[in-house]
Amino acid sequence: MASSQAGPGTFPKLEILPRGGNPHWTFLRPAKRIESGGDVERFLTSRAYRDIGIFVLQLNRALCPRKLPTGTKTFTLSTPRNDPESVKRLQGLLTRIEAITDEAPPDKGPRRFGNVAFRKWYSLLDERVDGLLKEFLPAGLLKFGGAGGSSEEKGPLVELRAYFLGGFGSSQRLDYGTGHELSFVAFLGCLWKLGAFEGGNSGETSPGEIERSIVLGVLEPYLKVVRRLILTYTLEPAGSHGVWGLDDHSFMPYIFGSAQLTRPITETEAMPLEGSCPGAPKPADIVKAAAVAAHRDDNMYFSAVGFINDVKKGPFWEHSPILFDVSGIKDGWGKINKGMVKMFNAEVLSKFPVVQHFPFGSLFSWDTDPNAVNVPVVRSVHMTNQPIASGVSGSSGSGGVGISAASTSRPMAAPPIAAPWARTGFPPSEVAAPPVPTEFPKGTPGMANNQFAVTKAPWAKN
Amino acid sequence: MVVRKQKICGDIHGQFHDLMELFRVGGDVPDTNYLFMGDFVDRGFYSLESFLLLLCLKVRYPDRMTLIRGNHESRQITTVYGFYDECLRKYGSANVWRYCCDIFDYLALGAIVLGASNTLSPGNDPTTLPAEEDTEIEVCNADGHVMSRFRRQGGRINLIRETQTISPKGAPSSSPPVNGTSSSPSGSAPPAVGAPTNTGPPGSGASGSSGGSVGNPAGAVLCVHGGLSPLIDMVDKIRLLDRKQEVPHEGAMCDLLWSDPDEIDGWGLSPRGAGFLFGADIVKVFNHKNDLSLIARAHQLVMEGFKEMFDASIVTVWSAPNYCYRCGNVAALLELSEDDSGLGIFARSNGDVNRSDGGMGQGAPPRGVLMESDLARKGGGPARRYRVFQAAPQDSRGMPAKKPVADYFL
Ligand SMILES: [Mn+2]
Repeated sequence: MASSQAGPGTFPKLEILPRGGNPHWTFLRPAKRIESGGDVERFLTSRAYRDIGIFVLQLNRALCPRKLPTGTKTFTLSTPRNDPESVKRLQGLLTRIEAITDEAPPDKGPRRFGNVAFRKWYSLLDERVDGLLKEFLPAGLLKFGGAGGSSEEKGPLVELRAYFLGGFGSSQRLDYGTGHELSFVAFLGCLWKLGAFEGGNSGETSPGEIERSIVLGVLEPYLKVVRRLILTYTLEPAGSHGVWGLDDHSFMPYIFGSAQLTRPITETEAMPLEGSCPGAPKPADIVKAAAVAAHRDDNMYFSAVGFINDVKKGPFWEHSPILFDVSGIKDGWGKINKGMVKMFNAEVLSKFPVVQHFPFGSLFSWDTDPNAVNVPVVRSVHMTNQPIASGVSGSSGSGGVGISAASTSRPMAAPPIAAPWARTGFPPSEVAAPPVPTEFPKGTPGMANNQFAVTKAPWAKN
Repeated sequence: MVVRKQKICGDIHGQFHDLMELFRVGGDVPDTNYLFMGDFVDRGFYSLESFLLLLCLKVRYPDRMTLIRGNHESRQITTVYGFYDECLRKYGSANVWRYCCDIFDYLALGAIVLGASNTLSPGNDPTTLPAEEDTEIEVCNADGHVMSRFRRQGGRINLIRETQTISPKGAPSSSPPVNGTSSSPSGSAPPAVGAPTNTGPPGSGASGSSGGSVGNPAGAVLCVHGGLSPLIDMVDKIRLLDRKQEVPHEGAMCDLLWSDPDEIDGWGLSPRGAGFLFGADIVKVFNHKNDLSLIARAHQLVMEGFKEMFDASIVTVWSAPNYCYRCGNVAALLELSEDDSGLGIFARSNGDVNRSDGGMGQGAPPRGVLMESDLARKGGGPARRYRVFQAAPQDSRGMPAKKPVADYFL
């Protein structure tokens, strides 16, 4: 990602594919490729990694306040926007998705965390996703390219569906985390590449306007839906570092929210590495509940912290020590923004437990980026403790299972959740050989499946 | 291994102030014997402090403290769930984490409590009558007031719900506020937060099958973090495991630390990706074969602090209140009385010294659970008292100085 932080004037944008320009474009059913800790290093040289980085930085820079002849222009959540039709339709899509919660009310019964009704919610989404995408995506988009001319069959739906479904948590594990958030960002990136946001703004547009619409007009509403899901079904944090993670579920709002408060720039200036926008709340304000309440409707960072305050009880510095430490930064929101981007690269994109579920197709491709700088990866303890390649390989790659497809049908055939070293047989034992489990328990009255913050084996595949 | 009036505790997960609360509720060391069933570290803010305190107590009072290993006492898990990050942040290097992990390798995989009594020893509740002879289960709040009792009666629950007493602090004893007083800025508390207002009967709302046990009443109690393994049919096989290693990804040692009981028949795949699920039939056969009256385990959050399953043949004990600052659960510890017959015999668990002989004792008479198989059976399981408690108040905690931020922000 560092390579895309170019000098003044040249700010890379994610490429938009020439529409119909390549009749031989082949969409691929996204498949998982990251099977072991070692594959993460390979991922960091892939086109997909490059594209995610470019897209996030492109959105990030657009959120930074601008120096205009008339003064400083900031872009808050409540600043009036001129959202293009494509963005409005995505808002409609999210509204429809959120309404599914009314059809799948949380199970009453024993109070537990990880409400199993989320599985119903998810299966409804899964059933309807194709229809919803066809209804709400720009007409013609799903017939993009393809050898069959204008056929949807060979169109991008197969890729869009995988990233979209992957953005709403795991119905299997009843959790939600930064990997799911990443999947939704990839969904938006796919739409970008397919030209869904092209030329959509009516009237004259200023640079970065469509990016701002994507973040403030789609991503923040998406986060609101996700927060509702987390509250409604008490979804667990996925891959949690406990209090030592930035946030139980999210990362994006900390990047874009800090960008919103950074020192203003002109259209030719690079993203500042320090400094705050005049009038912005102070970094130290995030530990003050009243300040958070005052700014959560304007700023994504404060919105995210507000959600933490909603769900957690206890001293802020104890349950969120990383955010607490960040609140002590003296060099302004620009410094925080720069750190958040670095941290995203290290703690999200470079972490096996997070990216192992990310599937690769034609738009976010596993192919090696020819320009990838082969930066020697610093092998952290985290990485060395990631599982090494196991004997069981290729099982999920060849299956072409999307990020979420595996979790849609229950009960599942064995062993969907098997660890990489999946038990293909028990060692010879004096014990009467136990029957090898063949399927997931159907019932849910037990505790194992539906608990808040249940520890999963980091080496488990699903 | 048995000690008198053993108090059995579940997951702590770095909630140091709540561990202090646990000792306040359960009694001080060394006057009280404690058995902790693992998961001292990860997720919370004070994993290091919690583990080191328990370790110091173990060193100072080796026969009064028993620590067994949880699935989080592992190098790989602690790099994912927070303990590694905590040590790095607190010390700037991973050395402390590394030393702790080396100690984890020496923790026991399980422990046996022998000679638990059928009869509850008197509690410390001045406001209620002493437990009757046939009280099998008693639930107390943090101040020791009895909240409910369950009689031995044909294995069926017969709830004697005490009138709610007023605690000396003046608050209704059943519903003190959970940790924290701040309300959400939006004014609408999310459903995920909030203290349970009532501690129900064991297994309440989750299983209608608990309350009266059918196991061997005077048999031993096996304590283990997770549960059973298809590779372990006899308790003695636990002793044979070479435990001084990182928790493997599979096998008996892994299963003991990772498995969960579930409402299934036989064995099932665990959604955790390690260990197994095991059903009531597995537990009953295992307990019968090993002359156990009860398996005590931890490893799963229980909103009420504890949950008995499978006709009280297994119980989950959870000792981290308001888990992760947001679950709103209460915590519990399980108190086992000593059998009056004086059969409380120390047996070495797999984790204790002198296991160069594999714990089997060449030439020495075999120690352990099998010695007790001829105990008289009185009917019903060992008497159990659960002390339920809430998160420690936070007002006593000072705010620390902001630490230098991680490299990303430099
Ligand atoms: Mn555990």
